[in-house]
Amino acid sequence: MHKIQRTVTVVSNSKVCPQYYRLSLDAGSAVNEARPGQFIHIRVTDGVEPFFRRPFSVFRAAKTMDILYDVVGKGTEILSSRKRGDRLDVLGPLGTPFCEPAPAVRQVVMIAGGIGVAPFLIFSDFLKKKRVEKILLYGARAQAQVFDFKAFRKNGVEVFASTEDGSVGVKGRVTRLFGKIRQDPQTTMLYACGPKPMLAAVQDFAKGHRLPGQVSCEEVMACGLGACLGCSIPTVSGYKTVCHDGPVFDVHEPCF
Amino acid sequence: MNLTVKIGSAVFPNPVTVASGTFGHAKKYYDLQEVQQLGALIPKTVTLLPQEGNPPPRIAETAAGMLNAIGIENPGVDVFIEKDLPALKKIPVPLIVSVLGHSEEQFLKITEKLNAAGGISALELNLSCPNLQKKNLVAQDAGATSSLVQKVKKISRYPVIAKLSPNVTDITVIAVAAQDAGADGVSLINTLTGMLINTRTRRPVLGNVTGGLSGPAIKPVALNMVYQAAKKVKIPVIAMGGIMTADDALQFIMAGASMTAVGTGNFVNPRAPLDVLQGIKAYMKKHKINDIVQLRGSLILP
Repeated sequence: MHKIQRTVTVVSNSKVCPQYYRLSLDAGSAVNEARPGQFIHIRVTDGVEPFFRRPFSVFRAAKTMDILYDVVGKGTEILSSRKRGDRLDVLGPLGTPFCEPAPAVRQVVMIAGGIGVAPFLIFSDFLKKKRVEKILLYGARAQAQVFDFKAFRKNGVEVFASTEDGSVGVKGRVTRLFGKIRQDPQTTMLYACGPKPMLAAVQDFAKGHRLPGQVSCEEVMACGLGACLGCSIPTVSGYKTVCHDGPVFDVHEPCF
Repeated sequence: MNLTVKIGSAVFPNPVTVASGTFGHAKKYYDLQEVQQLGALIPKTVTLLPQEGNPPPRIAETAAGMLNAIGIENPGVDVFIEKDLPALKKIPVPLIVSVLGHSEEQFLKITEKLNAAGGISALELNLSCPNLQKKNLVAQDAGATSSLVQKVKKISRYPVIAKLSPNVTDITVIAVAAQDAGADGVSLINTLTGMLINTRTRRPVLGNVTGGLSGPAIKPVALNMVYQAAKKVKIPVIAMGGIMTADDALQFIMAGASMTAVGTGNFVNPRAPLDVLQGIKAYMKKHKINDIVQLRGSLILP
């Protein structure tokens, strides 16, 4: 039987750069179940403040289940105070993962905005053995969001960065790096995760160049299991839940 | 230990169920073996025709609870019968189907279709969804409640439960109206109407502007309403409103509820219904109570 709810132990929880934390969890067999693009739904407190669980993309699932997160509110603030040995109630891994690139694909393009980089380390782990060009276009606000990309490079990923303040890489948004994308619908595949305006830009680019791709979306979630229909977004085929139908959608599907 | 509950002609193995809209159509939950231990299943409300639901954002977190304005997104009763019902029937747990019509005629049509479908233990008439931009809810009008319950009751082959709204002056008046019209049970409470504003954008947080408040924040309100209603009616009361733990559920049972439903609590803890059931059993064992009836309405007043 597929077990969805577990109590897991914190192995480590520390900063990887001034803005982002990496949380590693001893999550037992859940580690083997995780697919790139899926998320885990964490109850950050035993109490009711904050009330909802918080969804996080799986960053890596090797020995431990890892997430990458930014402290943006009450939930992530509590999470950042969790120490080695603490126990957390976790659902998942949940949601629809990224699809594998088709056999004809020669260039896999991962486009990440800020913390939207999270699903791409596990994705590059899965793509490690594929003999295709892999590039990560990472757009950040500033250096505080830039961490060591060694693990990506070890998986054969070439990393290009942009920052809005120009402190690292090209100055400007991640769209400034789109020149690295080979515009061949047969052999290029886009994968994107980041804020809505960035995903909209990726969708426009994919439309303009008829490129295939997938985007990973984010919404406030309650159940995380497709039950409450609270995280629905408009798509070309009606409302779909981010937690269950997504978070990964075809790039042409969501109406941003 | 006897935990069985009767509502009309329907018998439920124990007093713990899940509130409509919080447990599916989610296949993921139904995979769980634990689900088979529940006293009843109540899937998300179905309407006569498909409904696409409200524009997002549909939910927001609040202090000890949440606001929602989903708008009864559902595939319509025909698709429900064809696609969802067969799977639900396979689960060996009595099924209460929550239904909503936008007119008496629609309620009757849905009832006829479900009569033909079979395999259902009871109907719950959702008279109280606050998120459909209707001026008045059926459950805000004793006359409308009475008329509708009477008509559905006349044709339904299943026991009929009326789900009531807390957004009224006196919920006991509506509960009595439902009872006198022939309802086999009443369930309460649905969500309390509320709203949130984003001060940065000066816009409502929810796409629907207003929504329904649920979760532990509303439990004391729900408990009082169940207590008041249970005193006035002889038919079973199904209680919901902020139940997260066995202690919450026991409070409702002591206040007079025959059954209890975990709703929003499922989102935070999918195991909550089972925890509630086990906790009720543990309480009964500890206090040497061998029939749940002995607990029902056992509140001791000062």
